Amino acid sequence: MAIVTRAWQGLKLLFLRNRLETDLEKEVDFHLHMEIDRHVASGLPPAEARRVALRDFGGVDRAREEVRDARGITFWEGLRQDVRFGLRSLRRSPGYTLAAIVTLGLGIGATTAIFGVVNGVLLHPLPYQDSSRLIRINQDAKLINETNVGVAIAEVWDYRKALTTVKDVVEYHQMTFILLDRGEADRVSTGVVSSSYFETFGVRPLFGRTFRESDDVLGAEPVLILSNAYWLKKFGGESRVVGTHVEMNDKVHTIIGVLPPIPGYPNQDDVYMPTSACPFRAAAEKTIAKDRRAFGALSVFARMKPGVTPERANAEIATAAQKFAESRPEVYKPAVTGFQGNLVSLEGEITQDARPIVWTLFVTTGLVLLIACANVANLALSRTLRRDRELALRAALGARRSRILRQLLTESTMVALAGGAAGLVLAWATSGLLAAFAGLFTPRAVDASVDGTVLLFALAVSVVTGIIAGAIPALASRPALVAALKDGGAQAGDAQRGLRLRGALVSAQVAVGFALVISAGLLLESLHQLYDANLGYQHADKVLAMDVCCNFTRQGKAEDAQRIYKAILERAVTLPGARQVAITDGVPRSNITPIDATLHIEGQPPVDSARAPRVDARVVSDDYFSLLGIPMLAGRAFATTDGRDARPVAAVNQTMARMWGTRDPIGTTFVVGETGPDGKAPPRFTVVAVVGDVRQFAVDSPASAVFYTPMLQSGSFHGRVLIRTDGDPLQLAASLRAVVRAVDAQVPVSGVQTLEALRENRLTTPRLGAVLLAVFAGVALLITLAGLGAVIATTVSQRSREFGLRMALGASRRSVLGVVLMQGAWMLGPGLVLGLGGAVLCGRALQSDLYQTPPIQPLVYGVVAALFVIAGLLACLGPARRAISTDPLVALRSE
Amino acid sequence: MPKSGHNDLLQGTLDLLVLKTVALGPEHGWGIAQRIRQISGEVFQVNQGSLYPALHRLEEHGWVASEWGVSDANRQAKFYRLTRAGARQLTRETESWAEMVSGVARILEAK
Repeated sequence: MAIVTRAWQGLKLLFLRNRLETDLEKEVDFHLHMEIDRHVASGLPPAEARRVALRDFGGVDRAREEVRDARGITFWEGLRQDVRFGLRSLRRSPGYTLAAIVTLGLGIGATTAIFGVVNGVLLHPLPYQDSSRLIRINQDAKLINETNVGVAIAEVWDYRKALTTVKDVVEYHQMTFILLDRGEADRVSTGVVSSSYFETFGVRPLFGRTFRESDDVLGAEPVLILSNAYWLKKFGGESRVVGTHVEMNDKVHTIIGVLPPIPGYPNQDDVYMPTSACPFRAAAEKTIAKDRRAFGALSVFARMKPGVTPERANAEIATAAQKFAESRPEVYKPAVTGFQGNLVSLEGEITQDARPIVWTLFVTTGLVLLIACANVANLALSRTLRRDRELALRAALGARRSRILRQLLTESTMVALAGGAAGLVLAWATSGLLAAFAGLFTPRAVDASVDGTVLLFALAVSVVTGIIAGAIPALASRPALVAALKDGGAQAGDAQRGLRLRGALVSAQVAVGFALVISAGLLLESLHQLYDANLGYQHADKVLAMDVCCNFTRQGKAEDAQRIYKAILERAVTLPGARQVAITDGVPRSNITPIDATLHIEGQPPVDSARAPRVDARVVSDDYFSLLGIPMLAGRAFATTDGRDARPVAAVNQTMARMWGTRDPIGTTFVVGETGPDGKAPPRFTVVAVVGDVRQFAVDSPASAVFYTPMLQSGSFHGRVLIRTDGDPLQLAASLRAVVRAVDAQVPVSGVQTLEALRENRLTTPRLGAVLLAVFAGVALLITLAGLGAVIATTVSQRSREFGLRMALGASRRSVLGVVLMQGAWMLGPGLVLGLGGAVLCGRALQSDLYQTPPIQPLVYGVVAALFVIAGLLACLGPARRAISTDPLVALRSE
Repeated sequence: MPKSGHNDLLQGTLDLLVLKTVALGPEHGWGIAQRIRQISGEVFQVNQGSLYPALHRLEEHGWVASEWGVSDANRQAKFYRLTRAGARQLTRETESWAEMVSGVARILEAK
């Protein structure tokens, strides 16, 4: 407590110093007056009394000084002195000050900017109330390598009944429906949710209300809730939207509420409806008695009750899932599938994908900051060595070493704080960009702005940086009193003092810089490979894709949808500039992952359906393969003879064809799926062609087994129209839209893009990641080279006498140049060796992010090392030239 | 003014005398000097120049506290009073003074 009082007193003293001085004067005044009175009272004349009083007092000024000494200098006053002195000293060397502030500004700015992303993505991932208590109920079939197997309707009911450690078990799935409002058709992503969904997440509506239990009953009045973004886009932010009507799925829905502008989870949906309103789900619900796992596509969330640990909840969920499996072994086949249930923390899941890259970037900026610190430490060290005299003088006059140290640290911290302020501006300017980048791998929008936490971080980093950058030179300077104070203090030997430390700092910078440049290079090469990767199809820049979504309730029968598609195909192919048109269902279907979409090949021994291989199905029109240039490896293309009444045919891709072993798949048949609960046998396809593999989604994952069926033989589907042109495909966008509208005005069109653009979109994440890392590596390299040049320049100026001596004694200019360059090489060498080790480590760390790029490439190391050497020597060239251009006589005479 | 040969007081002793004087009652700087002179029977004449540094040092340690007031002569003066911590310090210093005195006495009485 005493320390606190003393500190507080000291702080008060800082501002009351003056008052104390006047107080003392008044005190002494009073004392003297009393003495004078005393002497006058005993008979002395006033003038004589005054003289005696003053004489007896013994020196007013000295008394004042001693009082000041008695009070001492408080910590705060000392600090203020340090700050004032530091400011003066910094103003005297504007070059150093500017260089230090800019360097630290870059380092601190980069680190703070990335911390903003860390803050927005990892520290506060969810904007929901008490989000750490939110969980997702997850089901896996580990033995057959299936994770996140969707939850079925009946399972949700059972979980709700069985679980006591969580409350509000709510379900979610996403559908795409057509919303008709005042005659305009819009394709909307719809979140179908339980009535207490928003309560569970703690989301309150902006206007209106959220769902009630009474809304979630079959036959209730259809209601809709709008997301904030959709409300702004479609309804212009009109507050009176609550109560209006729109049409969806052939029913009139009432809008009952609008959500606040929080990011949607798990997806950014446009509108929300209660579970009873989804026709697919309603239909599936009716079959539950026969099909236990009907509609197994739900995501299920819950909130842990207060006081419950995740372990307890997890155990309860696992037990409940186990009970399902054991009660219906014919459905779950637990011994084969390894079906189990567990809990996933929402916050953990959201941050999962972002964590590695955000931490990588954070570590990178930390390294850049360290390099910047080393630079400033070097600059400060050079400066301290030049201030030798001054420091020695202060020490000789009685300044304690700790006091000198404190002053140096204060100075460097001031520089760091200034740099931090500059860095904050940099961070603030780039926060929008970085937020967009981070939003690419988290399922929600990111707020990476500069808030309180980030400001605090910047402040802390600045102070720590200042202390580090100041401590190194401060501790390294040992003022040799006598030598420094002597005239001509800069002896030849002095130049070497501190050179080793500075050289070590530069070497460290080179090492880190080398590792960073190599890492950036690896990511860039991986990016190049991704761009070049053969996706299995061609003409991407000449193909326009357009999503055409048939209103399934109106065109519910397959024939109706196909009629529309056929009409679109026939008309589109006549457009000027169009070469070919095709339709596919390339739009990914909603996440229905039944456990039994299995493959049985005719002529092969039957495999247990739980262990049978899984395949993907695609619907394509006849010209699809030739349009995209997908090679037809065997067999024939689809033709009009493969109509609705002909036998079902399919084309398999290369990966799937391998499942036939050495047999030729053409002419054989296969069956997909099991006999359904309604007794309908699954379709049997005859293979008519083998086509090349296509990587449609993730470029860096292997192609999956796919079979294609002709459009005319398939059910209804969401179609994607592809049109191949000779010229710029985007020019046909408007005409294509017109074609679709002419065929059926109520069919909305969306997602108009060239295939090339679609592919570019998918590469955005690695592209931005590589670019950012390259930028940081470039900054690190610049700072390192600047640091190297500065150190060499300082040593050259320190050794100017020595060089003058050498040249006077007959050394050639070339040899002096060589000496300087050797000095630079001595700093580069160990740095590069260390950097090699660092590069290998970084390569290993990045391995999982690299596509077709070996992490350790000696050739690249060699090239980059050579570049470093050249750049480094060039950086030394400037000061080296200065060394050889000094007139030896001038150098000898100077100090 | 009769000056005694004991005018070179050790700084520590001055502190002790001042603390004791102030313990008798709050007083201003000049008054403290007078009191010491009177009570010691003119033995100690405090070097006035060193009184104020001593008082401020004592205040710095928290053993005395000061307050502006009005003196008998109706002048503004700074009054010092003993604090609780000061009372404790006074006891400590009195004890160590007694020890020193008895030690010196023992040496002087040694045969």
